[in-house]
Amino acid sequence: MTMGETSSRHASTARPKDAWRYVRILFIAFLVLWLAFTLFPLYFMTITAFKTAAETNLTTPTFWPQDWQPANFLGVFAERTNFNALIDSFIIATCNTALALFLGSLAGYAFARFPRQAGGENLAFWILSNRMFPPVAILVPMFFLFDITPWGTDSHISLILLYLVFNLPLATWLMMVFFRDAPVELEEAAYLDGWTPLRAFVKVTLPLVLPGMISVAMLCWIFAWNEYLFANLFVGTAVRTYTIVIPTFTHGSQTLWNLQMAFSLIAMIPPVVLFILLRRYMVRGLSLGVVKG
Amino acid sequence: MARLEVERICKGWEFPVIDELSFTVEEGEFFVIVGASGIGKTTLLRLISGLETPDAGRVVVGGRDLTGIPPYRRSIAMTFESYALYPHLTVYENMASPLRARRLPVRERDRRILATAKLLRIDHLLERRPGEISGGQKQRTALGRTLVADPEVFLLDEPISHLDAKIRHELRTQFHTLEDLRKVATVYVTHDYAEALSLGDRIGVMGAGGKLVQIGAPRDLFERPQTLAVAEHLGQPTINVIPARIIDDDGPCLQSEEGTLRLPVTDFARPLLEKLQGRQVILGLRPQYLRPGHDDTRGLTLRADIDIYEPLGTLGIMLVRCEGVRMTAVTDPEMTYHSGETVTLTLDLDQLFYFDAVTEKNLAVGD
Repeated sequence: MTMGETSSRHASTARPKDAWRYVRILFIAFLVLWLAFTLFPLYFMTITAFKTAAETNLTTPTFWPQDWQPANFLGVFAERTNFNALIDSFIIATCNTALALFLGSLAGYAFARFPRQAGGENLAFWILSNRMFPPVAILVPMFFLFDITPWGTDSHISLILLYLVFNLPLATWLMMVFFRDAPVELEEAAYLDGWTPLRAFVKVTLPLVLPGMISVAMLCWIFAWNEYLFANLFVGTAVRTYTIVIPTFTHGSQTLWNLQMAFSLIAMIPPVVLFILLRRYMVRGLSLGVVKG
Repeated sequence: MARLEVERICKGWEFPVIDELSFTVEEGEFFVIVGASGIGKTTLLRLISGLETPDAGRVVVGGRDLTGIPPYRRSIAMTFESYALYPHLTVYENMASPLRARRLPVRERDRRILATAKLLRIDHLLERRPGEISGGQKQRTALGRTLVADPEVFLLDEPISHLDAKIRHELRTQFHTLEDLRKVATVYVTHDYAEALSLGDRIGVMGAGGKLVQIGAPRDLFERPQTLAVAEHLGQPTINVIPARIIDDDGPCLQSEEGTLRLPVTDFARPLLEKLQGRQVILGLRPQYLRPGHDDTRGLTLRADIDIYEPLGTLGIMLVRCEGVRMTAVTDPEMTYHSGETVTLTLDLDQLFYFDAVTEKNLAVGD
């Protein structure tokens, strides 16, 4: 406790000690407020998921379910295709992430190690700039573009490829930064040990950037998992992502808030589990560029 | 086993880092290249190892021209100044890397690593990662990784420069006893002249402009430096450099450019000074030949004022002003001096070097 030490060091002079205490109290109060603000939507989602449809439509909202309805979580799968939507989302997000990571690593490595041959800073920046324009700008052109492909728009592969537009620049740029931080000398040492460039890459460089790579994978996967805009326009019949299933709980006359929230909670499970499993790597990866050596 | 030949190797056109540099290292020879920081020593090693391609010239190992052969197909091992240990692997795995690359059977691999680790006294660290061991241990691991590889040529890039003095000396002595290192051609690069003199069978002094200024046995370099630069680089404290000119005062004598120091021309120096192109000469005098005391048989006695006195335990170093010329003298540790004191010094005239002021070449060493 650095703060505790500091305040005890100033114990003889009363003023700084008091000042520190007020700062701490204010700080903690701010954190508590912040926590409440962040957790409230999640809390309301959860209790709504357990309410009856009638209770969700009360003019005075209740903050604790009057009648617990755990069956809501089964109810959302009354429509069998709803479960398939989660599977479809999973396939799309996972394949897209794998592809973005593979291509992004190769491109990032090229930009990091052979910048001139790879096209230089300008090309690298152009790739990143693809991430900067509003996605909706290319919505309609992309639809027509994918419409003339053999697999059409309503397929897994269309979204897997389309999401590369957003994820590949991110993966390339971040992997470039991670590769730049991985010392070239280690690769050179590996060459002198007798490893060919490809084996040196796999044995030495890849393990060094692995934490970074896992962070990139998380970011890409979560983006692809949560994407709604393009999915809504592109797929819907043969393939459905869970994001376009959520609005279907809104009917002409009423919205089944309880089912919608239950389904949303279920859809939150995969990213949360993934995050908990890979959390350690993620933190290391995001700080990889900050702390050297 | 093989000898290493570097033939007229060049790197960099407009500003050459390495310029038509040639040398040969025999099998079993320990060749030390010494030179100031940033003068191109590491580049030279990178050219030999194949990490960089020379613009001209070639590297030959055991009669085989290595031009165009990538580093991973050369039998050359190199330690890096930064050690370049793989941080995600243990000491054992680091040392196993060159053997894995060659797909050596596991049992043979274990045997070799254990033997080398014992030799370097890191056998108790095999399961640790580089982040968990000290600088000296890292250096031993890096050395171990090159030793187990059993290469034809060893390249060592400032292997002990970044360690503290005690470990540096301990490792330096270990280099003498490592037989694997003494079996093959070794090129050892350092900026520390003491390492060079201690370890080298032969030494090459690298000067500005990417050339080897002088190659020779340690003693030879120390006693017969070809140029002023070599004399300045070898030896601690640094040699005294006194620019002077020849004047006529009842026969020739040497007058310092700065101050009023006047030295007689000895019989040894007379023919040398005739070789001078102008009348300017640069005198070099190692500090150990300027000692306190009165000794007419050994040379010239001078009065000097002490500017700074450094008692260093095994010796003392005094910076003095002697008739207006700043010089360094070495004293015995038992004696105590104080700044501002006046002392009598004896300058050994027979130990003077004479360099041409224009070419900075040693007049006593023929080309």
